[in-house]
Amino acid sequence: MSLTQAVFILLGGMAVLGALGMVTLRNLFHSALAMILALFSIAGIYVLLEAEFLAVVQVLVYVGAIAMLILFGIMLTRDIVGRASAVRNRQWPLALAVSAGLLAVLAVALVRAAWPLATYAPAQGGVADLGLALMGPYALPFEVASVLLLVAMVGALIIAREARE
Amino acid sequence: MLPTLSVLNLNGAVPQIAVAGAGMLIMLIDALFHRGSRRWAAYLALLGLAVALARVVESGASAETILDGALARDGLGMAFALVLIVAAALSVLVAMDYLRREEHERAEYYALILFATAGGLAMAMANDLVAVFIGLETLSISLYVLSAFFTGDAASREAALKYLLLGAFASAFFLYGIALLYGASGTTRLVEMGTAIRLAGTQADPLLWGGVALIIVGVGFKLALVPFHSWAPDVYQGAPTSVTAFMSVASKVAAFAALVRLLVVVLAPAAPLTSALLALLAVLTMTVGNILALAQDEVKRLLAYSSIAQAGYILVAAVAGEVGAAAVLFYLLGYAFTNLGAFAVVLAWSRRGEGRLPFSDLAGLGFRRPWTAAALSLFLLSLTGMPLTVGFVGKLYLFGAAVQAGWTWLAIVAVLNSVVSAFYYLRLVVIMYMREAEMPLALQRAGLALGVALAVCAAGVILLGLVPGVALDWARQAVAVVLS
Amino acid sequence: MSIDWIELIIVVVKALIVAFGLLIGFAYLTWFERRLVGRFQMRIGPNRVGPAGLLQPVADALKMFFKEDFVPGQADKPLFIMAPGIAMSAVLISFAVVPVGPSIRLFGREITLYLADVNVGMLVVIAVLSLGVYGIILGGWASNNKYSLLGGLRGAAQVISYELPYGLSLVGVFMLAGSLSLKDIVEAQARVPFIVLQPLAAIVFFFAAVAEANRSPFDLVEAENELVAGYHTEYSSIKFALYFMAEYISMIVASALMVTLFLGGWQGPFLPGIVWFFIKLVFMLFVFVWIRATWPRIRYDRLMAWSWKLLVPLSVANILVTAGALVLRDMGVF
Repeated sequence: MSLTQAVFILLGGMAVLGALGMVTLRNLFHSALAMILALFSIAGIYVLLEAEFLAVVQVLVYVGAIAMLILFGIMLTRDIVGRASAVRNRQWPLALAVSAGLLAVLAVALVRAAWPLATYAPAQGGVADLGLALMGPYALPFEVASVLLLVAMVGALIIAREARE
Repeated sequence: MLPTLSVLNLNGAVPQIAVAGAGMLIMLIDALFHRGSRRWAAYLALLGLAVALARVVESGASAETILDGALARDGLGMAFALVLIVAAALSVLVAMDYLRREEHERAEYYALILFATAGGLAMAMANDLVAVFIGLETLSISLYVLSAFFTGDAASREAALKYLLLGAFASAFFLYGIALLYGASGTTRLVEMGTAIRLAGTQADPLLWGGVALIIVGVGFKLALVPFHSWAPDVYQGAPTSVTAFMSVASKVAAFAALVRLLVVVLAPAAPLTSALLALLAVLTMTVGNILALAQDEVKRLLAYSSIAQAGYILVAAVAGEVGAAAVLFYLLGYAFTNLGAFAVVLAWSRRGEGRLPFSDLAGLGFRRPWTAAALSLFLLSLTGMPLTVGFVGKLYLFGAAVQAGWTWLAIVAVLNSVVSAFYYLRLVVIMYMREAEMPLALQRAGLALGVALAVCAAGVILLGLVPGVALDWARQAVAVVLS
Repeated sequence: MSIDWIELIIVVVKALIVAFGLLIGFAYLTWFERRLVGRFQMRIGPNRVGPAGLLQPVADALKMFFKEDFVPGQADKPLFIMAPGIAMSAVLISFAVVPVGPSIRLFGREITLYLADVNVGMLVVIAVLSLGVYGIILGGWASNNKYSLLGGLRGAAQVISYELPYGLSLVGVFMLAGSLSLKDIVEAQARVPFIVLQPLAAIVFFFAAVAEANRSPFDLVEAENELVAGYHTEYSSIKFALYFMAEYISMIVASALMVTLFLGGWQGPFLPGIVWFFIKLVFMLFVFVWIRATWPRIRYDRLMAWSWKLLVPLSVANILVTAGALVLRDMGVF
């Protein structure tokens, strides 16, 4: 086993652990922290894949901002050291069955797939390539994404503003 | 080489730009000079949609791509775009008086309708799965916000929250599916993806299957196909009625546009399996939707279940793949007029501050409001599929496509379902005309805009039903020009 | 894969130097600040322990070590212990990509005066600094105390709000330098420091950096007249010291970034690069203390409005102007 593989297994294990913790921990705040662990481990995997820019953005956006907002929301709406909440409801066997089915389908697909390999490594952490792609072939999604963000912002304002009145 | 604007050729993206631009203009004007009535916003929205419509009609079908291959200006995309723009314009007309009556008249409403339309247009015309996804998200997020638009209203909030949670879930499936398809083909461009799949003979590639299954789950949520339908009744009922009207049509048009393009352009080599999967979903959707609709006693919820069932009918033609594309398109055009019209009547008759319209409220309205009642009856007959309405021609065409493609049993199931649906649709007509009101409803005056919308919808249903030839030819020619 | 052991040792030594340098820098920054603030307030400041009070930080450190290390009964213990460590390590890591001088030759080896030249360097700094807030928010939450919680909430809101102008103001710099690497950015300032070309960006970045470091006048996270001591109300001894260090070291990091991004980094005439770097650094630290001594604390709603309604639009305008100027330059207009 090479060093890279060992690091990958470590990071992957942490990501899985974080994901499991997120759905099984009883304290909502701890669940959010477990999610942060998963997101962080995925950033590590990006580094391993030599996608430095993606890794940093993953940390900046998901860990630094989105997860922070989630914690913020929990802190605003729950008791300080929150009481445990139920992690199961009546539908858990059904949910388990569906999840297991999904896992099986994905596992089969991913394991049996003949993965094509990239023929070149992205230069410079991919920043320049990414910029050119966003301004060239992916200009349409890039521009629509700005409309998307505008909608999200306007939407948040509409919902929040009225609630205060 | 740096990309330049001439390569990007923004000229072809005018529909999207006009619609989104009008939305931004509305937001800007509202922020800078907002006073009094917001009627101007509706007119501005109609203007933006008109520009987009003119552009779509004028440029016609040409199998070329713009924006560096990201957007397809083919007949299929343009035709679905046209249906979507018409639906959006009718939704604006329907909303104008309703919003004022409910004291929620705000310029953002029209801006959000326009943004949703722009997202839908991107979905209909995109030749790139990433663009399809972002278009889908733009459409969906606008709809979540619109569902919560009556912010004082608990039902509206609940609807928005349910829609948001399940919609986000569906988006995750869709995105994972895109990732797997990218893994299978090495590209996100639909045309190149189709070529890669055909050339590699990867019909047995597990990545392809995984991707297809996940994308169908994602689209299934958006279309409220059974078993991914559970959000639909609550959301349709809780959201402001004008939003429900728009949502029930726009999200279906956009999602079916993307689905049809995917089936025709990318998944044609994999047709046997996708068809089987979609046929199963179609049977479930039609049957469950219709059976649950039988048990309803409130018009909005009834229409929600009816919308589920209608998606099932359309899916019957989608199963047929390329053969059914024209039928899907034509039916959606008719469905836009029919469903928007039906919701417009619900909105005209429902009590102020209340989205619900129980069956008992309908009693006696056939004579108190003869024109509106006649219109509602027309729409209901069309949804049932009675002759002389667009519903009949549309269903004939849908089920015909299935038979043509060898799915005769599916067509039979669909016809049986239509018979079942007649029971609940016609019951409304019976209540309107045959029953005396115990407690007469205090009716609001319907405004001019709503009247225009109703007239247009009714005219559309009748004209497309009586002389379907022109529209059918149009649909057939449009889907014949597909970029692939 | 063979490992170059000497290279590894060099990196470890450099890391240790940076870490200890920052710790000593922290200790004497407190002395520097107290003496300076004393002057600003027409008094002398600490001058009893050692010559000119130079041993005062040592005395303070000893006092800290011997205080009782206290964990509140209902606190979330693991998080309570982890939080100060997170705050501290985030600021230490962020210094790793800051180049303090050009490379030097020692024993026949080329030694660079930074720990890592990541080609997305500045983004790494922003990302790591945004992690630092976890120290505040977790500490505030785990303390199970309303003042701590409010302090933590304020910290989260403030840092998220100021991250935007912090990052956006730098886009102009990135466009001029054509790189995100701090080393390249310094080298791009060989002729003109960016503060001349990007004055608006420098001002916006400075304000945002002060706010990110939770320094006065943006120190609402620990506003003592409203929140006792904010998120670290329940902290004592070494854990309190860690928070204290994190705040001062983040001030050093902010000053170092100002120097690197806008003041030309290590570049300057006559003197060696590293000396120039330190002269500029001390000047920036002086500005930090100067502001603290003269400005009153800003009101909380104004703090938010300041970021969202002033700094963000300004930095977006700066990007537009810079992009326009670059296009004009490429077209040969000037």
